[in-house]
Amino acid sequence: MDLLTILSTCMIITSLAVFGLRNYKASIFSYSIQTTLLVLIFLTLSNAHEAHQLFGWAMVAIVTKVILVPFIIFRLVKKLGVVSEVEPVAGFFVSPIIAMGFSLAIAMSIYPIYLKFSLIQEHIPLIASITIFMMGIFGFILRKSAIKQILAFCMFENGIHLSLALMAYNSPEIVEVGVLTDAIFAVLIMSVLASRFYKYFGSLDVSKANTLKG
Amino acid sequence: MESLLITILAIPLIVAAIVWMTPGNIKVMGSLHVLGSIAYSVMAIKAILAVVHGEVLFAFDDMLFLDSLGGVFLSLIAVTGLLINIYSVKYMEWEVKKGDITQKDAKLFFALSHIFVFTMSLSVVANNMAIMWAAVEATTLSSVFMVALHSGKRSTESGWKYIVICSIGLAFALYATVLLYSAGFSVIKDAHSTMLWTTLIAHAKEIDPDALKLIFIFALIGFGTKAGLAPTHTWLPDVHSEGPSPASAMLSAVLLKCALLAIVRYYAIVGNSMVGFEYVQMLMLIISILTIFIAALFILRQHDIKRMFAYHSVEHIGIIAFGFGIGGPFGIFAALFHSMSHSITKALAFCVSGNIIKIYGTRDMTKMGGLVKIAPITAVLFGIAICSLVGIPLFAIFVSEFLAIKAAITSGQYVAVALFIVGLAIIFVGVFSHFNAVMFGKPKGDVLCKEVEWSANLPLIILAGLIVFFGIYSIDSWVTLLNNASKIVVGV
Repeated sequence: MDLLTILSTCMIITSLAVFGLRNYKASIFSYSIQTTLLVLIFLTLSNAHEAHQLFGWAMVAIVTKVILVPFIIFRLVKKLGVVSEVEPVAGFFVSPIIAMGFSLAIAMSIYPIYLKFSLIQEHIPLIASITIFMMGIFGFILRKSAIKQILAFCMFENGIHLSLALMAYNSPEIVEVGVLTDAIFAVLIMSVLASRFYKYFGSLDVSKANTLKG
Repeated sequence: MESLLITILAIPLIVAAIVWMTPGNIKVMGSLHVLGSIAYSVMAIKAILAVVHGEVLFAFDDMLFLDSLGGVFLSLIAVTGLLINIYSVKYMEWEVKKGDITQKDAKLFFALSHIFVFTMSLSVVANNMAIMWAAVEATTLSSVFMVALHSGKRSTESGWKYIVICSIGLAFALYATVLLYSAGFSVIKDAHSTMLWTTLIAHAKEIDPDALKLIFIFALIGFGTKAGLAPTHTWLPDVHSEGPSPASAMLSAVLLKCALLAIVRYYAIVGNSMVGFEYVQMLMLIISILTIFIAALFILRQHDIKRMFAYHSVEHIGIIAFGFGIGGPFGIFAALFHSMSHSITKALAFCVSGNIIKIYGTRDMTKMGGLVKIAPITAVLFGIAICSLVGIPLFAIFVSEFLAIKAAITSGQYVAVALFIVGLAIIFVGVFSHFNAVMFGKPKGDVLCKEVEWSANLPLIILAGLIVFFGIYSIDSWVTLLNNASKIVVGV
């Protein structure tokens, strides 16, 4: 197995951890590892495919996504003094596995279209990128904790980032700048809202918020 | 002319900074807010007039541009946005006086509303599709705290729903952007120009049709969520009803259309490619009918005045999508016209609901009544908003709905038009029962004050005037702009 396959597979496994772990700190840590793997993939691709832009992307990702974003969420967890997610829905332990199954199935069915135009023709990383994106989407839908939802957002952002690197690493810098700026602001705003949420509802369980209906 | 586009983007940012840094009371902030909005609108209208005269403005290495299509939507920000901003000054004064928010909150609101205008303008003038995506996402980020301005459960919940659902949706739109770029790059072979709408539409026929089909579905899910199309419209009623009335008005009257413009850009490219217009029209038609029926169902059982208007936004976005579903120059003309007529009508509706809530101190329509006697001007304005919303002749929305139905009949899509009319009829019945409850009879709850100040009503009277004006007259330069815009989409 080559290095890229190993790194991509590890990314998929970390997405299972970000999704499945109930302890917030462990979950944030898994996200940080996932982003580190993403950085390593960028560096590998940058060498193997002479995609020099990706070296710059890797450096930016270290600062923003390996350090800054986990720090913001970590601070939020510390401020609220929450430790782990309460079990909100039935099938709590099964849901990551089901989500993974669906994500892989969706990834396998649409990746050929992506591959056709991808600048870097690598199968496994491309499948991984779509799988991680879908895991993020499922995380949003199946997890009720506000913090887990922020992490799910970060996760599907990682998936898009990997697709972007494979399919469009030569796009103008403004694209990367725009996408990353939005992502960081989104995480900041969500963490402010999450802490307000905790203040008013006394919990992070967003399914408890049902004052708005009909 | 290059500097004009940059000025349009720079003014709101500068004004936001000035408003934010100004110490002092709400009157000073309010005046700066209004002056800034006027300055923006003057420059924007100048640019739109240039576009009407056949120019296409470019800036920043072609990454920004203003064509007729963008001009239509920029005019919404310039005209409707200005009137809402003027109204918001009085509204914020009431809220501060009542003690619902502090002066600092009002300042935040004013500053954010200019950043919001900046992000919307950027999404409209972006020729680079990635900038457009980033701008649409930024509209969510900049307006979250306009919506969640109040403290408390409901406001926080609506803010959370807003950012979460729109972010998920827009993630799909980002995939559409990435996929379109790489599919386009395999044909165009230049990184910079592959990102540009102007280049992409010129090369549309060469781009792989299978990829384009998937791209359009992604774009429709993504920007459709933001525009409020069913089935991902669920955030809209909560967000539009919980925010302060001017924020609801801005979101409903202007923001939804900016998201719709993004869909239209993809619609134009996929339609002009080997995929053809039938594909995009069919998708738009299905989604639009679904949207209208879901909205109709919910409008019938609403008692909350702002939620009712929010579902009306869903309905009218469905009507605009219906125009694109019918397609052809006439259908698109109707859809673009409807974007404008709904924009002014909904701005009036939400601002009037601000007045009504001040008068009764509640949003529950079953506790209102006798508005005609309590506040005649507000009552007339409310009447005009409702009459236009349900499409009564002599009001703006009638014109665009009529054009849409005419386009559908001319192109022989009888089933679609029948469903469309049934949907509108249900809404008509639902709205008038609510309308009677508010306007006539005796008040069923408290009446906190009589007619609101003239300064609050003035922008609303102008909006009402525009609704009637567009309902009766046809303005040549507006028709030219719409004709040119529909030509861009159809690709003639």
